Amino acid sequence: MQNLMRTQPLTLAENAMDALTIDGLKCYYVNDYFGVRREIRAVDDISLTIRRNEIYGIAGESSSGKTSLIKTLAGAIRPPMRVVGGTVKFNFADGPINVYAEPSKMKAARWRHLSYIMQGSMNVLNPVRRVKHAFTDFASRHMNLDPDAFRARVEAHLARLHLDPHVLEAFPHQLSGGMRQRLTIALATVCEPEFIIADEPTTALDVLVQQDVLALIKEVQMRLQSSVIFVTHDMSVHAAITDRLAIMYAGRLAEEGPTQAIFDNPQHPYTVHLIGSLPRIGDVSTRKSLRGKPPALSDPPSGCRFHPRCPIAIDKCAREVPAMLPSATGGRVACFRAGEYQIQ
Amino acid sequence: MFKVLRDLLRYNKEFLLGTILISIILALIAASFFSPYDENAIYVVAPDMPPSAEFWLGTTSRGQEVFWQIAASMHNTLFFGIIVAFVSRIIAIAVGLISGYIGGRTDQIIMAVNDTLGALPNIPILLLLVFVLRDQMTWFMLAITAALLGWTHDSRLIRSVALSLRHREFTRHAVFSGMRTRQILIREHLPYVMPIVFFTTMNNLIWAIGLEVTLSVLGFSDINRPTIGGMIYWANAHSAMVSGVWWWVAFPMLFVVILFLGLFMLAMSVNEYIDPRSRLARMGA
Repeated sequence: MQNLMRTQPLTLAENAMDALTIDGLKCYYVNDYFGVRREIRAVDDISLTIRRNEIYGIAGESSSGKTSLIKTLAGAIRPPMRVVGGTVKFNFADGPINVYAEPSKMKAARWRHLSYIMQGSMNVLNPVRRVKHAFTDFASRHMNLDPDAFRARVEAHLARLHLDPHVLEAFPHQLSGGMRQRLTIALATVCEPEFIIADEPTTALDVLVQQDVLALIKEVQMRLQSSVIFVTHDMSVHAAITDRLAIMYAGRLAEEGPTQAIFDNPQHPYTVHLIGSLPRIGDVSTRKSLRGKPPALSDPPSGCRFHPRCPIAIDKCAREVPAMLPSATGGRVACFRAGEYQIQ
Repeated sequence: MFKVLRDLLRYNKEFLLGTILISIILALIAASFFSPYDENAIYVVAPDMPPSAEFWLGTTSRGQEVFWQIAASMHNTLFFGIIVAFVSRIIAIAVGLISGYIGGRTDQIIMAVNDTLGALPNIPILLLLVFVLRDQMTWFMLAITAALLGWTHDSRLIRSVALSLRHREFTRHAVFSGMRTRQILIREHLPYVMPIVFFTTMNNLIWAIGLEVTLSVLGFSDINRPTIGGMIYWANAHSAMVSGVWWWVAFPMLFVVILFLGLFMLAMSVNEYIDPRSRLARMGA
């Protein structure tokens, strides 16, 4: 069974429709102080594929390893974070890149093919320099244009994103949070990348600006036909924008599937509770909460990491790690009793 | 820029006073280019004349006009200070930014050297060098030596800022976009620490001039080149205070006080301008 799971994404990798293939990825924070080795398993054995031209959502609570996962697949990790096993393979238009086997190719592909809207990205603009310098510093080297042509290209791009070209002459503190966020997206997409990673791009914004930013990301994605990984803990944002959704729990994938199916018919008990916690208009009943709290990733529970909190756990859950298997609703789920749990 | 200067002049008394005092010094330095006498020539006017309409600040026992000597001295002394400040700033910025950004073992080694140099007493080292080098110890050599001793404190200050910049989002973004370390330091971090550099430059200038005056008064520099300390040295050598030629000592001292006060006022007001917290503290918050 385990074997079957391993081969499945690999055969899919031959498919030209796949933009990113992650296979058995493990990335730990490894501390080695005074001979005592401590591991924090932030990303533990994750396999997934992302297709071209789709928005893939990653959801999960704080410290479930969302940001660690996308940092790892962008190749943006620094010690003490270390890739312990597995592969990350991008399939760009001009050839595949294996992130951790071909670091120099990966370096060249960043920003040009792969861009990354980082967490807290409202602060990616240097507070003491004008906005235009951020564009020349970060993007111009990847575009091989002379300064005038580059400037024209940036202004055209900003105009498409409904931003006034005058903002290029401004300092970041002269702009509002929403404008800075839109500028960051403009900065990340000016090279027209095939793959965009967005880490909590709407978290610090109010709902109106959030709506704007989501529409903007959708617009850019439609125009460039690129793949987007969209990370946020806000389920309503996922419902609004993503095509497929993955739920992470304690460094592992719990469930993955078409967004609509996950919301309509969650299979994993954790997902059931997560969806059940969302407010619904007209429904005034108290939301049922799970007992306990997410495990510490330095000392995760054996077997299924959710079993100590799971309402339908069986003995097997504590002993064996459930594999990601195709679920009844067209996705994949890692649970021995998938689909058996419902909140009354 | 001009608006900032205008507002500072209007609302900040220290800045206004500092500007006036430094303008006096700068006017004096400008005048030194039009001196009627060679700055090294002696016995060109009647010696020991008190201040009068003809000799504004009197003349020295060596037959030089005090006014033109002070003008030339200010020129030389300030130039010395600027060279020391400039060279030591370059070292302080490079060491601070590199140490703070790279961190780890590199940081530990650089800071160990930094702290060792910082703990060494400056004056005894300079005196030792003066005794060893003797005639080779020109004012330029002295400036370079002082610069090599005068950067340690400021590099630590800059490093402390660089340490925080290292973890900012824009640095992570720059790394992700493939900027080289040198580009990140010069284009992203340097503009950020510039206000600190600006402020410490003035403090360093004051320190360097004080050092030069100290060494010159003791006669441990090129005594034939007119400097403020050098003038006092010659006045002492001719027992000016005993023989009643007070203007030979008093005026150089007055002007060096003006220079120090002016630089101090400027440094203080600029610091207040770039650090909002001290501005708030002054408002009583």
